[in-house]
Amino acid sequence: MHAPSSVPTLAVSARGVVKRFGELTAVNEVEIEIPRGVCYGLLGPNGAGKTTLSKMIAAVLPRDGGELKVLGLDPWTEQSEVKARLGVVMQGDVFDEDLDVGRNLEIYGRFYGLSGPAFREKVQGLLKFVSLEGRERGPVQALSGGMRRRLMIARALINDPEVLILDEPTTGLDPQVRHAIWGTLRQLKQRGLSILLTTHYMEEAAQLADRIGILFKGKLIAEDTPEKLIAAHLPPWVLEFDAQGQEALLEEFAQAASVERHGDRAFVFHAVEDTLRRWIAKGAFRTALVRPASLEDVFLKLTGRTLDE
Amino acid sequence: MSDAAVRRAPGRIVRVLAVWYRHWRVYSNTFVANATPAVLEPTFLLVAVGLGLGRFIHQEFNGLEYSSFMAAGVLGSTCMYTASFESTYGAFIRLRYQKAYEGMLATPLTRADIFAGELLWCGSKGLLFSTIVCLVLALFGKVHTPWAVLVPAIGFFTSLLFGGLGFCVTSCVQNINHFQFYFTIGLTPLILFSGLMFPVQDLPYGLEYVAYALPMFHVIETFRLVVSGPAHSSVPWAWACPFVVLGLAGAFGTLGVRRMVGRLKA
Repeated sequence: MHAPSSVPTLAVSARGVVKRFGELTAVNEVEIEIPRGVCYGLLGPNGAGKTTLSKMIAAVLPRDGGELKVLGLDPWTEQSEVKARLGVVMQGDVFDEDLDVGRNLEIYGRFYGLSGPAFREKVQGLLKFVSLEGRERGPVQALSGGMRRRLMIARALINDPEVLILDEPTTGLDPQVRHAIWGTLRQLKQRGLSILLTTHYMEEAAQLADRIGILFKGKLIAEDTPEKLIAAHLPPWVLEFDAQGQEALLEEFAQAASVERHGDRAFVFHAVEDTLRRWIAKGAFRTALVRPASLEDVFLKLTGRTLDE
Repeated sequence: MSDAAVRRAPGRIVRVLAVWYRHWRVYSNTFVANATPAVLEPTFLLVAVGLGLGRFIHQEFNGLEYSSFMAAGVLGSTCMYTASFESTYGAFIRLRYQKAYEGMLATPLTRADIFAGELLWCGSKGLLFSTIVCLVLALFGKVHTPWAVLVPAIGFFTSLLFGGLGFCVTSCVQNINHFQFYFTIGLTPLILFSGLMFPVQDLPYGLEYVAYALPMFHVIETFRLVVSGPAHSSVPWAWACPFVVLGLAGAFGTLGVRRMVGRLKA
Protein backbone atom coordinates (compact mmCIF):
# COMPACT_ATOMS: atom_id res chain seq x y z
CA MET A 1 0.00 0.00 0.00
CA HIS A 2 1.32 3.37 -0.97
CA ALA A 3 -1.33 5.22 0.97
CA PRO A 4 -0.05 7.70 3.56
CA SER A 5 0.09 6.51 7.15
CA SER A 6 -2.82 8.74 8.06
CA VAL A 7 -5.24 6.50 6.11
CA PRO A 8 -7.47 5.05 8.81
CA THR A 9 -7.70 1.29 9.17
CA LEU A 10 -11.13 1.60 10.71
CA ALA A 11 -14.25 1.93 8.63
CA VAL A 12 -16.22 3.12 11.62
CA SER A 13 -15.26 4.09 15.13
CA ALA A 14 -17.72 5.32 17.72
CA ARG A 15 -16.91 6.45 21.23
CA GLY A 16 -19.61 7.37 23.68
CA VAL A 17 -22.04 8.23 20.89
CA VAL A 18 -25.37 9.59 22.15
CA LYS A 19 -28.60 10.48 20.36
CA ARG A 20 -31.67 11.82 22.11
CA PHE A 21 -35.18 12.44 20.85
CA GLY A 22 -36.74 14.63 23.54
CA GLU A 23 -36.89 12.54 26.71
CA LEU A 24 -35.87 9.34 24.96
CA THR A 25 -32.19 8.43 24.70
CA ALA A 26 -32.27 6.37 21.52
CA VAL A 27 -28.52 5.68 21.43
CA ASN A 28 -26.72 5.74 24.75
CA GLU A 29 -22.91 5.97 24.90
CA VAL A 30 -22.25 3.39 22.22
CA GLU A 31 -18.69 2.23 21.48
CA ILE A 32 -18.07 0.44 18.21
CA GLU A 33 -15.04 -0.25 16.08
CA ILE A 34 -15.46 -1.74 12.63
CA PRO A 35 -12.17 -2.53 10.89
CA ARG A 36 -12.06 -2.25 7.12
CA GLY A 37 -13.18 -5.31 5.21
CA VAL A 38 -15.28 -6.58 8.08
CA CYS A 39 -19.00 -7.27 8.03
CA TYR A 40 -20.43 -6.06 11.31
CA GLY A 41 -23.90 -7.21 12.31
CA LEU A 42 -25.86 -4.95 14.60
CA LEU A 43 -28.60 -6.95 16.28
CA GLY A 44 -31.42 -5.68 18.38
CA PRO A 45 -35.16 -5.77 18.83
CA ASN A 46 -37.31 -3.09 17.21
CA GLY A 47 -36.73 0.25 18.90
CA ALA A 48 -33.27 -0.70 20.19
CA GLY A 49 -31.64 2.19 18.33
CA LYS A 50 -30.19 0.27 15.36
CA THR A 51 -31.66 2.55 12.72
CA THR A 52 -30.76 5.70 14.64
CA LEU A 53 -27.17 4.55 15.04
CA SER A 54 -26.86 3.55 11.40
CA LYS A 55 -28.31 6.89 10.29
CA MET A 56 -25.69 8.73 12.35
CA ILE A 57 -22.99 6.60 10.75
CA ALA A 58 -24.55 7.18 7.31
CA ALA A 59 -24.16 10.94 7.88
CA VAL A 60 -27.85 11.75 7.65
CA LEU A 61 -28.52 12.37 11.35
CA PRO A 62 -26.47 14.54 13.73
CA ARG A 63 -25.44 13.08 17.09
CA ASP A 64 -25.90 14.71 20.49
CA GLY A 65 -22.61 13.59 21.99
CA GLY A 66 -19.52 11.43 21.70
CA GLU A 67 -16.99 10.94 18.96
CA LEU A 68 -17.86 9.31 15.68
CA LYS A 69 -15.54 8.73 12.74
CA VAL A 70 -16.37 7.11 9.42
CA LEU A 71 -13.27 6.41 7.31
CA GLY A 72 -11.49 8.77 9.66
CA LEU A 73 -13.89 11.66 8.96
CA ASP A 74 -16.62 13.21 11.06
CA PRO A 75 -19.90 12.12 9.44
CA TRP A 76 -21.71 15.30 10.40
CA THR A 77 -19.28 18.16 9.87
CA GLU A 78 -17.82 16.45 6.77
CA GLN A 79 -21.05 14.83 5.65
CA SER A 80 -20.67 15.30 1.92
CA GLU A 81 -17.16 13.81 1.89
CA VAL A 82 -18.26 10.88 4.04
CA LYS A 83 -21.38 10.23 1.98
CA ALA A 84 -19.32 10.28 -1.23
CA ARG A 85 -17.63 7.09 0.03
CA LEU A 86 -20.64 5.29 1.51
CA GLY A 87 -23.36 3.16 0.03
CA VAL A 88 -26.61 3.10 1.95
CA VAL A 89 -29.57 0.74 1.78
CA MET A 90 -32.17 2.23 4.09
CA GLN A 91 -35.45 0.71 5.15
CA GLY A 92 -38.46 1.45 3.00
CA ASP A 93 -37.04 1.39 -0.55
CA VAL A 94 -37.38 5.09 -1.23
CA PHE A 95 -36.97 5.75 -4.93
CA ASP A 96 -37.75 8.73 -7.07
CA GLU A 97 -41.24 7.69 -8.13
CA ASP A 98 -41.23 10.29 -10.89
CA LEU A 99 -38.34 8.59 -12.71
CA ASP A 100 -37.99 5.18 -14.35
CA VAL A 101 -35.59 2.48 -13.13
CA GLY A 102 -32.62 3.55 -15.24
CA ARG A 103 -33.05 7.27 -14.57
CA ASN A 104 -33.26 6.58 -10.85
CA LEU A 105 -29.69 5.33 -11.08
CA GLU A 106 -28.55 8.02 -13.53
CA ILE A 107 -29.89 10.93 -11.51
CA TYR A 108 -28.59 9.40 -8.30
CA GLY A 109 -25.16 9.20 -9.92
CA ARG A 110 -25.27 12.92 -10.63
CA PHE A 111 -25.52 13.58 -6.91
CA TYR A 112 -22.04 12.02 -6.73
CA GLY A 113 -20.91 14.06 -9.73
CA LEU A 114 -21.07 11.00 -12.01
CA SER A 115 -22.26 11.15 -15.62
CA GLY A 116 -21.10 10.39 -19.15
CA PRO A 117 -20.73 7.25 -21.30
CA ALA A 118 -18.48 5.36 -18.87
CA PHE A 119 -20.96 5.98 -16.10
CA ARG A 120 -23.90 4.84 -18.23
CA GLU A 121 -22.02 1.62 -18.92
CA LYS A 122 -21.57 1.20 -15.22
CA VAL A 123 -25.31 1.62 -14.65
CA GLN A 124 -25.86 -1.22 -17.14
CA GLY A 125 -23.34 -3.34 -15.27
CA LEU A 126 -25.04 -2.70 -11.95
CA LEU A 127 -28.49 -3.54 -13.33
CA LYS A 128 -27.02 -6.79 -14.57
CA PHE A 129 -25.35 -7.48 -11.23
CA VAL A 130 -28.73 -7.31 -9.48
CA SER A 131 -30.54 -9.13 -12.35
CA LEU A 132 -32.65 -6.17 -13.42
CA GLU A 133 -31.40 -5.85 -16.99
CA GLY A 134 -34.22 -5.05 -19.39
CA ARG A 135 -36.18 -3.22 -16.66
CA GLU A 136 -34.37 0.01 -17.32
CA ARG A 137 -37.16 1.96 -18.99
CA GLY A 138 -39.92 0.58 -16.76
CA PRO A 139 -41.41 2.49 -13.83
CA VAL A 140 -40.12 1.66 -10.34
CA GLN A 141 -43.72 1.16 -9.22
CA ALA A 142 -43.91 -1.95 -11.40
CA LEU A 143 -41.11 -3.72 -9.50
CA SER A 144 -41.81 -6.42 -6.90
CA GLY A 145 -40.56 -6.07 -3.34
CA GLY A 146 -37.49 -8.19 -4.04
CA MET A 147 -36.68 -6.26 -7.22
CA ARG A 148 -37.00 -2.96 -5.42
CA ARG A 149 -34.57 -4.13 -2.78
CA ARG A 150 -32.13 -5.27 -5.45
CA LEU A 151 -32.43 -1.93 -7.21
CA MET A 152 -31.74 -0.29 -3.86
CA ILE A 153 -28.52 -2.31 -3.56
CA ALA A 154 -27.52 -1.37 -7.12
CA ARG A 155 -28.14 2.28 -6.29
CA ALA A 156 -26.03 2.01 -3.15
CA LEU A 157 -23.12 0.66 -5.24
CA ILE A 158 -23.18 3.42 -7.83
CA ASN A 159 -20.23 5.32 -6.31
CA ASP A 160 -18.03 2.25 -5.62
CA PRO A 161 -18.47 2.73 -1.89
CA GLU A 162 -15.83 1.71 0.63
CA VAL A 163 -18.43 1.10 3.30
CA LEU A 164 -21.90 -0.32 2.77
CA ILE A 165 -24.63 0.35 5.33
CA LEU A 166 -27.64 -1.92 5.19
CA ASP A 167 -30.59 -1.31 7.48
CA GLU A 168 -32.64 -4.51 7.70
CA PRO A 169 -31.96 -5.44 4.07
CA THR A 170 -34.26 -8.47 3.90
CA THR A 171 -37.14 -7.50 6.19
CA GLY A 172 -40.46 -8.30 4.59
CA LEU A 173 -39.01 -10.43 1.77
CA ASP A 174 -39.81 -14.08 1.15
CA PRO A 175 -37.13 -16.72 1.89
CA GLN A 176 -35.97 -17.26 -1.71
CA VAL A 177 -35.43 -13.56 -2.26
CA ARG A 178 -33.72 -13.29 1.10
CA HIS A 179 -31.22 -16.00 0.17
CA ALA A 180 -30.56 -14.35 -3.20
CA ILE A 181 -29.80 -11.05 -1.48
CA TRP A 182 -27.51 -12.76 1.02
CA GLY A 183 -25.65 -14.24 -1.96
CA THR A 184 -25.22 -10.75 -3.43
CA LEU A 185 -23.99 -9.37 -0.13
CA ARG A 186 -21.49 -12.22 0.26
CA GLN A 187 -20.05 -11.35 -3.15
CA LEU A 188 -19.65 -7.74 -2.08
CA LYS A 189 -17.95 -8.84 1.11
CA GLN A 190 -15.47 -10.87 -0.89
CA ARG A 191 -14.62 -7.73 -2.86
CA GLY A 192 -13.37 -6.22 0.37
CA LEU A 193 -16.24 -3.90 1.20
CA SER A 194 -16.76 -3.01 4.82
CA ILE A 195 -20.37 -3.68 5.74
CA LEU A 196 -22.56 -2.53 8.60
CA LEU A 197 -25.68 -4.64 8.70
CA THR A 198 -28.54 -4.03 11.08
CA THR A 199 -31.02 -6.83 11.36
CA HIS A 200 -33.41 -8.59 13.61
CA TYR A 201 -32.94 -11.88 11.84
CA MET A 202 -30.47 -14.12 13.65
CA GLU A 203 -29.96 -16.21 10.58
CA GLU A 204 -28.99 -13.16 8.56
CA ALA A 205 -26.40 -12.13 11.12
CA ALA A 206 -25.04 -15.67 11.39
CA GLN A 207 -24.80 -15.97 7.58
CA LEU A 208 -23.01 -12.72 6.90
CA ALA A 209 -21.45 -11.08 9.93
CA ASP A 210 -17.84 -11.49 11.08
CA ARG A 211 -18.58 -9.59 14.26
CA ILE A 212 -21.83 -9.00 16.04
CA GLY A 213 -22.95 -6.29 18.41
CA ILE A 214 -26.16 -6.55 20.38
CA LEU A 215 -27.95 -3.27 20.88
CA PHE A 216 -30.61 -3.08 23.56
CA LYS A 217 -32.41 0.06 24.72
CA GLY A 218 -29.79 2.22 23.06
CA LYS A 219 -26.83 0.45 24.67
CA LEU A 220 -24.36 -1.96 23.14
CA ILE A 221 -24.61 -4.82 25.64
CA ALA A 222 -22.33 -7.39 23.97
CA GLU A 223 -19.95 -7.59 21.06
CA ASP A 224 -17.77 -10.32 19.58
CA THR A 225 -17.55 -12.90 16.80
CA PRO A 226 -20.70 -15.04 16.62
CA GLU A 227 -18.88 -18.10 18.01
CA LYS A 228 -17.25 -16.26 20.87
CA LEU A 229 -20.46 -14.49 21.70
CA ILE A 230 -22.16 -17.83 22.22
CA ALA A 231 -19.21 -19.33 24.10
CA ALA A 232 -18.93 -16.35 26.42
CA HIS A 233 -22.54 -16.29 27.49
CA LEU A 234 -23.86 -19.84 27.36
CA PRO A 235 -22.88 -23.50 27.69
CA PRO A 236 -22.68 -25.09 24.24
CA TRP A 237 -25.79 -27.28 24.40
CA VAL A 238 -29.40 -26.58 25.07
CA LEU A 239 -32.49 -28.65 25.81
CA GLU A 240 -35.61 -26.83 24.68
CA PHE A 241 -39.17 -27.90 25.57
CA ASP A 242 -42.73 -26.78 26.23
CA ALA A 243 -42.64 -25.47 29.79
CA GLN A 244 -46.34 -25.71 30.63
CA GLY A 245 -46.92 -27.94 33.69
CA GLN A 246 -43.23 -28.71 34.06
CA GLU A 247 -42.46 -26.44 37.03
CA ALA A 248 -41.17 -29.20 39.31
CA LEU A 249 -38.85 -30.52 36.64
CA LEU A 250 -37.57 -27.04 35.83
CA GLU A 251 -36.63 -26.55 39.48
CA GLU A 252 -34.78 -29.85 39.49
CA PHE A 253 -32.85 -28.94 36.33
CA ALA A 254 -32.03 -25.54 37.78
CA GLN A 255 -29.95 -27.27 40.50
CA ALA A 256 -27.53 -28.66 37.89
CA ALA A 257 -27.80 -26.34 34.88
CA SER A 258 -28.77 -22.84 33.89
CA VAL A 259 -32.42 -22.57 33.03
CA GLU A 260 -34.19 -19.84 31.07
CA ARG A 261 -37.86 -19.46 30.41
CA HIS A 262 -39.38 -17.29 27.70
CA GLY A 263 -43.12 -17.46 27.28
CA ASP A 264 -44.11 -21.11 27.07
CA ARG A 265 -40.67 -22.36 26.15
CA ALA A 266 -38.04 -23.54 28.59
CA PHE A 267 -34.31 -23.64 27.78
CA VAL A 268 -31.86 -25.74 29.81
CA PHE A 269 -28.19 -25.04 29.04
CA HIS A 270 -25.48 -27.55 29.74
CA ALA A 271 -21.91 -28.33 28.69
CA VAL A 272 -22.55 -31.98 27.93
CA GLU A 273 -24.92 -33.03 25.18
CA ASP A 274 -25.44 -36.56 26.58
CA THR A 275 -26.60 -35.24 29.93
CA LEU A 276 -29.32 -33.26 28.22
CA ARG A 277 -30.33 -36.30 26.16
CA ARG A 278 -30.72 -38.33 29.36
CA TRP A 279 -32.84 -35.53 30.86
CA ILE A 280 -35.28 -35.70 27.98
CA ALA A 281 -36.34 -39.11 29.26
CA LYS A 282 -37.26 -37.61 32.66
CA GLY A 283 -40.28 -35.70 31.48
CA ALA A 284 -43.26 -36.39 29.32
CA PHE A 285 -42.38 -33.53 27.00
CA ARG A 286 -44.64 -32.75 24.12
CA THR A 287 -41.94 -31.11 22.06
CA ALA A 288 -38.36 -31.37 23.16
CA LEU A 289 -35.06 -31.18 21.37
CA VAL A 290 -31.37 -30.98 22.17
CA ARG A 291 -29.41 -28.63 19.93
CA PRO A 292 -26.27 -26.45 19.99
CA ALA A 293 -26.75 -23.07 21.64
CA SER A 294 -27.36 -20.34 19.07
CA LEU A 295 -27.12 -16.59 18.73
CA GLU A 296 -30.82 -16.40 19.38
CA ASP A 297 -30.29 -18.01 22.80
CA VAL A 298 -27.62 -15.44 23.61
CA PHE A 299 -29.96 -12.72 22.51
CA LEU A 300 -32.80 -14.05 24.65
CA LYS A 301 -30.55 -14.36 27.65
CA LEU A 302 -29.12 -10.85 27.33
CA THR A 303 -32.27 -8.96 26.45
CA GLY A 304 -34.93 -11.18 27.97
CA ARG A 305 -36.98 -10.97 24.85
CA THR A 306 -37.27 -12.39 21.38
CA LEU A 307 -36.07 -10.42 18.41
CA ASP A 308 -39.45 -9.95 16.87
CA GLU A 309 -41.07 -8.44 19.94
CA MET B 1 -9.27 -1.26 -3.47
CA SER B 2 -6.32 0.30 -1.68
CA ASP B 3 -4.79 1.86 -4.79
CA ALA B 4 -8.06 3.35 -6.03
CA ALA B 5 -8.22 7.09 -5.49
CA VAL B 6 -10.49 8.15 -2.67
CA ARG B 7 -13.76 9.45 -4.05
CA ARG B 8 -14.35 13.10 -3.29
CA ALA B 9 -17.73 14.75 -2.99
CA PRO B 10 -18.59 17.14 -5.82
CA GLY B 11 -18.54 20.84 -4.97
CA ARG B 12 -21.61 22.70 -3.79
CA ILE B 13 -22.47 24.18 -7.17
CA VAL B 14 -22.36 20.78 -8.88
CA ARG B 15 -24.52 19.33 -6.10
CA VAL B 16 -27.15 22.08 -6.34
CA LEU B 17 -27.19 21.82 -10.13
CA ALA B 18 -27.65 18.04 -9.86
CA VAL B 19 -30.81 18.65 -7.82
CA TRP B 20 -31.95 21.18 -10.41
CA TYR B 21 -31.26 18.61 -13.12
CA ARG B 22 -33.42 16.03 -11.32
CA HIS B 23 -36.37 18.42 -11.43
CA TRP B 24 -35.72 19.32 -15.05
CA ARG B 25 -35.59 15.63 -15.99
CA VAL B 26 -38.89 14.86 -14.27
CA TYR B 27 -40.48 17.98 -15.68
CA SER B 28 -39.34 17.55 -19.26
CA ASN B 29 -40.93 14.07 -19.29
CA THR B 30 -44.33 15.73 -19.12
CA PHE B 31 -43.41 19.07 -20.60
CA VAL B 32 -46.48 19.58 -22.77
CA ALA B 33 -48.95 18.70 -20.00
CA ASN B 34 -47.13 21.00 -17.59
CA ALA B 35 -46.50 23.97 -19.82
CA THR B 36 -49.83 24.12 -21.65
CA PRO B 37 -51.94 25.52 -18.78
CA ALA B 38 -49.13 27.88 -17.85
CA VAL B 39 -49.34 29.43 -21.31
CA LEU B 40 -53.07 29.13 -21.91
CA GLU B 41 -54.20 30.62 -18.60
CA PRO B 42 -52.57 34.02 -19.06
CA THR B 43 -53.64 33.98 -22.70
CA PHE B 44 -57.27 33.42 -21.74
CA LEU B 45 -57.01 36.10 -19.06
CA LEU B 46 -55.61 38.55 -21.57
CA VAL B 47 -58.20 37.72 -24.22
CA ALA B 48 -61.27 37.58 -21.95
CA VAL B 49 -60.57 40.36 -19.50
CA GLY B 50 -58.17 42.50 -21.45
CA LEU B 51 -59.76 42.49 -24.88
CA GLY B 52 -63.32 41.58 -23.81
CA LEU B 53 -63.89 43.62 -20.68
CA GLY B 54 -61.35 46.16 -21.86
CA ARG B 55 -63.62 47.21 -24.74
CA PHE B 56 -66.06 48.64 -22.18
CA ILE B 57 -63.34 50.49 -20.30
CA HIS B 58 -62.74 53.71 -22.15
CA GLN B 59 -60.57 55.23 -19.49
CA GLU B 60 -56.80 54.88 -19.77
CA PHE B 61 -54.86 53.47 -16.81
CA ASN B 62 -51.38 54.93 -16.32
CA GLY B 63 -51.70 56.21 -19.88
CA LEU B 64 -52.33 52.71 -21.27
CA GLU B 65 -55.38 51.09 -22.79
CA TYR B 66 -56.70 48.38 -20.52
CA SER B 67 -55.13 45.21 -21.95
CA SER B 68 -51.69 46.82 -22.12
CA PHE B 69 -52.11 47.93 -18.51
CA MET B 70 -52.83 44.32 -17.52
CA ALA B 71 -49.80 42.85 -19.32
CA ALA B 72 -47.37 43.39 -16.43
CA GLY B 73 -49.82 41.85 -13.97
CA VAL B 74 -50.29 38.78 -16.11
CA LEU B 75 -46.53 38.23 -16.11
CA GLY B 76 -46.38 38.71 -12.35
CA SER B 77 -49.24 36.37 -11.54
CA THR B 78 -47.86 33.65 -13.82
CA CYS B 79 -44.55 33.64 -11.92
CA MET B 80 -46.28 33.87 -8.56
CA TYR B 81 -48.53 30.86 -9.13
CA THR B 82 -45.85 28.74 -10.80
CA ALA B 83 -43.35 29.22 -7.97
CA SER B 84 -46.01 28.93 -5.29
CA PHE B 85 -47.38 25.59 -6.50
CA GLU B 86 -43.89 24.15 -6.89
CA SER B 87 -42.74 25.22 -3.43
CA THR B 88 -45.92 24.26 -1.55
CA TYR B 89 -47.83 21.29 -3.00
CA GLY B 90 -44.83 20.09 -5.02
CA ALA B 91 -42.32 20.22 -2.15
CA PHE B 92 -44.82 18.83 0.35
CA ILE B 93 -45.63 15.83 -1.82
CA ARG B 94 -41.94 15.10 -2.32
CA LEU B 95 -41.33 15.50 1.40
CA ARG B 96 -44.28 13.65 2.85
CA TYR B 97 -45.64 11.22 0.26
CA GLN B 98 -42.82 10.38 -2.13
CA LYS B 99 -40.05 10.68 0.45
CA ALA B 100 -37.87 11.78 -2.44
CA TYR B 101 -35.52 13.67 -0.13
CA GLU B 102 -34.66 10.60 1.96
CA GLY B 103 -32.90 8.92 -0.95
CA MET B 104 -31.16 12.15 -1.91
CA LEU B 105 -29.86 12.60 1.62
CA ALA B 106 -27.91 9.34 1.44
CA THR B 107 -25.77 10.92 -1.29
CA PRO B 108 -23.23 13.76 -0.86
CA LEU B 109 -26.15 16.23 -1.00
CA THR B 110 -26.76 18.21 2.15
CA ARG B 111 -30.21 19.43 3.17
CA ALA B 112 -29.26 22.93 2.07
CA ASP B 113 -28.17 21.62 -1.37
CA ILE B 114 -31.54 19.92 -1.85
CA PHE B 115 -33.61 23.01 -1.14
CA ALA B 116 -31.27 25.44 -2.86
CA GLY B 117 -31.68 23.21 -5.94
CA GLU B 118 -35.46 23.25 -5.51
CA LEU B 119 -35.49 27.02 -5.25
CA LEU B 120 -33.28 27.32 -8.31
CA TRP B 121 -35.79 25.13 -10.11
CA CYS B 122 -38.65 27.42 -9.01
CA GLY B 123 -36.70 30.34 -10.43
CA SER B 124 -36.05 28.49 -13.69
CA LYS B 125 -39.70 27.66 -14.15
CA GLY B 126 -40.56 31.31 -13.60
CA LEU B 127 -37.92 32.29 -16.13
CA LEU B 128 -39.32 29.88 -18.70
CA PHE B 129 -42.99 30.76 -18.18
CA SER B 130 -42.48 34.52 -18.07
CA THR B 131 -40.58 34.23 -21.35
CA ILE B 132 -43.42 32.28 -22.97
CA VAL B 133 -46.07 34.67 -21.64
CA CYS B 134 -44.00 37.63 -22.83
CA LEU B 135 -43.96 36.13 -26.34
CA VAL B 136 -47.74 35.75 -26.19
CA LEU B 137 -48.01 39.40 -25.08
CA ALA B 138 -45.74 40.49 -27.93
CA LEU B 139 -47.96 38.56 -30.33
CA PHE B 140 -50.92 40.65 -29.14
CA GLY B 141 -48.81 43.80 -29.47
CA LYS B 142 -48.70 44.49 -25.74
CA VAL B 143 -44.92 44.81 -25.44
CA HIS B 144 -43.83 48.40 -25.98
CA THR B 145 -40.11 48.58 -25.13
CA PRO B 146 -37.01 46.55 -26.04
CA TRP B 147 -36.23 46.37 -22.32
CA ALA B 148 -38.65 43.45 -22.35
CA VAL B 149 -35.56 41.28 -22.92
CA LEU B 150 -35.20 41.59 -19.13
CA VAL B 151 -38.51 39.80 -18.54
CA PRO B 152 -36.88 36.35 -18.07
CA ALA B 153 -34.56 37.73 -15.38
CA ILE B 154 -37.44 39.42 -13.56
CA GLY B 155 -39.43 36.19 -13.87
CA PHE B 156 -36.53 34.31 -12.31
CA PHE B 157 -36.20 36.57 -9.28
CA THR B 158 -39.96 36.90 -8.80
CA SER B 159 -40.14 33.10 -8.65
CA LEU B 160 -37.28 32.95 -6.14
CA LEU B 161 -39.28 35.37 -4.01
CA PHE B 162 -42.49 33.35 -4.13
CA GLY B 163 -40.60 30.05 -3.97
CA GLY B 164 -38.94 31.17 -0.75
CA LEU B 165 -42.26 32.39 0.64
CA GLY B 166 -43.86 29.06 -0.31
CA PHE B 167 -41.04 27.17 1.48
CA CYS B 168 -41.70 29.21 4.63
CA VAL B 169 -45.33 28.09 4.50
CA THR B 170 -44.47 24.47 3.67
CA SER B 171 -42.05 24.30 6.60
CA CYS B 172 -44.99 24.91 8.99
CA VAL B 173 -47.74 22.91 7.30
CA GLN B 174 -48.64 19.42 8.54
CA ASN B 175 -51.70 18.81 6.37
CA ILE B 176 -51.66 19.33 2.62
CA ASN B 177 -55.16 20.89 2.69
CA HIS B 178 -53.87 23.81 4.73
CA PHE B 179 -52.15 25.22 1.65
CA GLN B 180 -55.60 26.39 0.58
CA PHE B 181 -55.47 28.99 3.34
CA TYR B 182 -52.21 30.32 1.95
CA PHE B 183 -53.55 30.49 -1.58
CA THR B 184 -56.87 32.07 -0.60
CA ILE B 185 -55.82 34.39 2.20
CA GLY B 186 -52.21 34.98 1.19
CA LEU B 187 -52.00 35.01 -2.59
CA THR B 188 -55.45 35.91 -3.94
CA PRO B 189 -55.43 39.40 -2.33
CA LEU B 190 -52.02 39.95 -3.91
CA ILE B 191 -53.60 39.44 -7.31
CA LEU B 192 -56.55 41.68 -6.47
CA PHE B 193 -54.82 44.56 -4.68
CA SER B 194 -51.38 44.87 -6.25
CA GLY B 195 -52.20 46.76 -9.40
CA LEU B 196 -52.96 43.89 -11.75
CA MET B 197 -56.55 44.85 -12.62
CA PHE B 198 -56.58 48.51 -11.66
CA PRO B 199 -54.03 51.11 -10.53
CA VAL B 200 -53.58 51.06 -6.77
CA GLN B 201 -52.55 54.72 -6.42
CA ASP B 202 -56.24 55.70 -6.65
CA LEU B 203 -57.44 53.36 -3.87
CA PRO B 204 -59.41 55.14 -1.11
CA TYR B 205 -58.78 55.24 2.66
CA GLY B 206 -55.00 55.03 2.31
CA LEU B 207 -55.26 51.46 1.01
CA GLU B 208 -52.68 52.44 -1.58
CA TYR B 209 -50.05 52.34 1.17
CA VAL B 210 -51.09 48.79 2.04
CA ALA B 211 -50.56 47.91 -1.61
CA TYR B 212 -47.09 49.47 -1.58
CA ALA B 213 -46.19 47.11 1.28
CA LEU B 214 -47.14 44.02 -0.74
CA PRO B 215 -44.33 42.31 -2.67
CA MET B 216 -46.60 41.79 -5.66
CA PHE B 217 -46.94 45.54 -6.24
CA HIS B 218 -43.19 45.81 -6.72
CA VAL B 219 -43.15 42.77 -8.98
CA ILE B 220 -45.85 44.18 -11.25
CA GLU B 221 -44.26 47.65 -11.36
CA THR B 222 -40.94 46.04 -12.31
CA PHE B 223 -42.54 44.12 -15.15
CA ARG B 224 -44.38 47.28 -16.22
CA LEU B 225 -41.10 49.20 -16.40
CA VAL B 226 -39.66 46.83 -18.98
CA VAL B 227 -42.85 45.88 -20.88
CA SER B 228 -44.61 49.28 -21.08
CA GLY B 229 -41.87 51.72 -20.14
CA PRO B 230 -41.24 54.05 -17.17
CA ALA B 231 -43.74 56.63 -18.50
CA HIS B 232 -46.56 54.24 -17.53
CA SER B 233 -45.49 53.48 -13.96
CA SER B 234 -47.99 53.85 -11.14
CA VAL B 235 -45.65 55.81 -8.86
CA PRO B 236 -42.73 58.15 -9.54
CA TRP B 237 -40.42 55.95 -7.49
CA ALA B 238 -41.07 52.86 -9.65
CA TRP B 239 -37.33 52.71 -10.47
CA ALA B 240 -36.83 51.39 -6.91
CA CYS B 241 -39.20 48.44 -7.41
CA PRO B 242 -36.66 46.14 -9.16
CA PHE B 243 -34.34 46.56 -6.20
CA VAL B 244 -37.14 45.72 -3.76
CA VAL B 245 -37.86 42.56 -5.79
CA LEU B 246 -34.17 41.59 -5.74
CA GLY B 247 -33.94 42.21 -2.01
CA LEU B 248 -37.09 40.27 -1.23
CA ALA B 249 -35.99 37.41 -3.49
CA GLY B 250 -32.71 37.17 -1.56
CA ALA B 251 -34.38 37.46 1.83
CA PHE B 252 -37.31 35.07 1.29
CA GLY B 253 -35.17 32.66 -0.73
CA THR B 254 -32.61 32.35 2.06
CA LEU B 255 -35.21 32.19 4.80
CA GLY B 256 -37.28 29.62 2.92
CA VAL B 257 -34.30 27.29 2.34
CA ARG B 258 -33.30 27.59 6.01
CA ARG B 259 -36.82 26.81 7.16
CA MET B 260 -37.03 23.71 4.96
CA VAL B 261 -33.60 22.52 6.15
CA GLY B 262 -34.92 22.80 9.71
CA ARG B 263 -38.05 20.91 8.80
CA LEU B 264 -36.15 18.03 7.19
CA LYS B 265 -33.92 17.70 10.25
CA ALA B 266 -36.88 17.07 12.51
